[in-house]
Amino acid sequence: VSIRLQLLIVALTTLVLPWAGCQYARELESALRNSQEQSLLAGAGIIANALSAQPQRVFHDSGDSQAFAAAAGDLYVYPLVTQPLLDGYREDWDIPADPAPLPTASKYRARLQAGSTERFLYLYLEVDDAHFMPEPHDVNPGKDRFDRVNLTLQGPAGPTSYFFGTTAPGLIAAQSVAKGDDGADQVVTEPRIQAFWLQTAAGYHLEIRIPLSFVGQRLWIEALDGRGGGQAGFAPDSPRGGRLFFATAGLNALLQTYIREGTRATVVDANALKLGTAGNIVTQNADEAEPIWYRYFLGVDTSEMPLLVSSPDRLSGDSIREALKGTAHAQWVLSGSRHALLLTAAAPIVIDGQLHGAVLLEQAADQLLALRDRALTRLFNLTLIATASAVIIMFAFATWISVRIGRLRAAADLAVGNDGKIRLSMPESSSADEIGALSRGFERLLARLNEHTQYLRTLGGKLSHELRTPLTIVRSSLDNLESEGLRGDQLRYITRAREGTQRLQSILSALGAAARVEESIKQSERASFDLRDLVNSAVAAYRDGFPGARFLLELPENPCFALGAPDLLVQLLDKLVENAVDFCPPGGAITVRLERAEASYLLQVANDGPLIPEALTGRLFESLFEQRQGKDDKPHFGLGLYIVRLVAEFHGGTAVAANREDGSGVVFSIALPLI
Amino acid sequence: MKKQIAIVEDEPALRENYAAALSRHGYSIKAYGNRQTAMQAFNVRLPDLAIIDISLEDEAEGGFDLCRDLRALSAELPIIFLTARDSELDAVSGLRLGADDFLTKDVSLPHLAARVAALFRRIDALRRPDNAAEIVRRGALSIDGEKMQTTWNGSAVTLSLTEFWIVHALARNPGHVKNRQQLMDAANVVLDDNTITSHIKRVRRKFQQVDPAFDAIQTVYGMGYRWVE
Repeated sequence: VSIRLQLLIVALTTLVLPWAGCQYARELESALRNSQEQSLLAGAGIIANALSAQPQRVFHDSGDSQAFAAAAGDLYVYPLVTQPLLDGYREDWDIPADPAPLPTASKYRARLQAGSTERFLYLYLEVDDAHFMPEPHDVNPGKDRFDRVNLTLQGPAGPTSYFFGTTAPGLIAAQSVAKGDDGADQVVTEPRIQAFWLQTAAGYHLEIRIPLSFVGQRLWIEALDGRGGGQAGFAPDSPRGGRLFFATAGLNALLQTYIREGTRATVVDANALKLGTAGNIVTQNADEAEPIWYRYFLGVDTSEMPLLVSSPDRLSGDSIREALKGTAHAQWVLSGSRHALLLTAAAPIVIDGQLHGAVLLEQAADQLLALRDRALTRLFNLTLIATASAVIIMFAFATWISVRIGRLRAAADLAVGNDGKIRLSMPESSSADEIGALSRGFERLLARLNEHTQYLRTLGGKLSHELRTPLTIVRSSLDNLESEGLRGDQLRYITRAREGTQRLQSILSALGAAARVEESIKQSERASFDLRDLVNSAVAAYRDGFPGARFLLELPENPCFALGAPDLLVQLLDKLVENAVDFCPPGGAITVRLERAEASYLLQVANDGPLIPEALTGRLFESLFEQRQGKDDKPHFGLGLYIVRLVAEFHGGTAVAANREDGSGVVFSIALPLI
Repeated sequence: MKKQIAIVEDEPALRENYAAALSRHGYSIKAYGNRQTAMQAFNVRLPDLAIIDISLEDEAEGGFDLCRDLRALSAELPIIFLTARDSELDAVSGLRLGADDFLTKDVSLPHLAARVAALFRRIDALRRPDNAAEIVRRGALSIDGEKMQTTWNGSAVTLSLTEFWIVHALARNPGHVKNRQQLMDAANVVLDDNTITSHIKRVRRKFQQVDPAFDAIQTVYGMGYRWVE
């Protein structure tokens, strides 16, 4: 893994900044939520206190605290905002709830809903009775059979029964049976109670309008099938007759004075039935065209929040439940199809130590969200910018370091060249940091290595020089001994000793050869000469000098004039040929070839000997590099090819060793520049 | 009267060996270990021939100084450098100071004795009237084998003893290629190839100082050299 990648990974730890920002934002939000809860709770409490001081404006009948029971026929009277048209349709009531079914013993079904304006109570009855049976003329309610609806109102003066029936659908009035002057039952029309009979394919709708002055606390209503198909609802004498639960008139206006913008207040009685409501929940960001993506992993987890199921007539939820038990309570809920986040706070309304109802305040969390989003957006943008710049800077820095180290590495790779020369200067060595120190360390190392190499290079010459005097002592002593006149066997030993010293002598001479060549190179003068002639005559000499070897000579047609030191080139050729002779197997040929290439003369000495290991081809020309097992007694110090290189370089040329492509032998090539 | 040879050599074993060998050849030997004692003795009496090492005890170039001083005392005294130092620079410096020969210590004692004899022979020949029989003439070249003097177009060319013998060997058989071994034998010396090459180079340069067009010594690459007329 590169340094760049490592540092990049390290740089990614700066992502902890946005994370910390998130945590902070959450805490901030939590605090905000708390304070919103408290403020809403306080608001609810204030309203509850205010309302408890004027119970007559809140509750109709502050005495009735019996629980609302729909099954027992209890009827919630929805507050109607506008006066509905009496037309048999309830669409203009604008109540989201459906009519509630009336109890029935048969298959005769009917549904009822109640609403009120300030002056009238409206009843809407839907009866599934496809077969219309009209009311006969001169009706006898006691005997005649027709589709009818009985309504009994518990007025201030006791219950009054009415019935509805019609000869034809349309606008009708309630009728009642009264004792006539003659004492007989007589059907009387009550024109103040009006109704509209609408016949449909499935049955009929009856929309009834009753002045509130007729209405008491209870009413009984039942639908009867004229064909005897059954009845639905409560008979007038039924003990279970429905009680009426009214929203309080004027309460809405009263509430309106207490609430703030964006808040909805609802007052319920002890049965959680709505008595009045005011205000609207404003969802500020209703047109959230672009959801802020990070809210998804930043925002409060709302999935576990309770879903507020709203019904038009009553409130539910923990807040209102707690408030109706007597404790104020605030809760976050989701509401509506969009699952908008709402804060609800409820406070009980207590009058004279008795619980009468509760006030519920609802407020959208959008404001809070908007606030948090603003803070978060800033925080997020800032930390993201910080993180991004940190990552970029780290990356750039790592790249810079990487490049510098790369440069150093490349220089280290090339520090010791193929020619064995050591380049002492490294890049970056002037830098003050650790890389600079590393570079300087390299330089010191290279300097030492160079000293050592120099020492090794000159070791041969020094040795040969230092050993020469003792060797001379031995040899001159042998000379003296010999001239003393010796016996036969003594002479033999002397001869052996002399042979030994001669070998020592040639070893020393070989050791000092490179130094002498270096010296003579320094003193060489360049002259123009014919390279072809030189090679030709040299090879002729080698044929005499190495009778056991077979030489092949390939020369160009034209003379090859070159500028240089022919003596040195002959030495170069000597070394190459000696080398080739040493390695060429018996029967093999040594090919000496001179060729005029485009920019240089190419002098090649090839032999059929064993191949050079690939790894060694670059090192063969180094001083004191010797990898062979000599097959003769001559000392080999690996100086021959070093001399070849020295001479080639003196002429501005190069020396290269390579295996033949077909693997049949080895070629040493010397390229020499043209004049 | 025996010829007196001074040997200035700081290595006692070597000094003794040279002294023993040369006294066997009938010379009187005076051996010195350093420049000061040698110079004191030379101021009293000059030897007939001096063999000097270049580095003497703590004086790395004491032999050169000694040679210069000795040459100041006598222009004719034969001086041979015999040294372990074989660099061409040393050889050139030594010969420029007026030494008659520059030998490395590779030289064998018989070879050394041959040289000493040759130098004495030359001294004797110089004192005798001209003996034309010993003179070899090859075109512009004339070589006096006895006096070991060489002239080119009548101008003297000063050669060291080794150089003289090389020229002599080449010029005696013009056109014949002499390889390095033959030249070494003729010069009574064992030299490596490079040293022969530098000797040839020096010889050519000396002739060219007299005649810039000199081109009589030809290199036969890989074989040796020949004299062309």
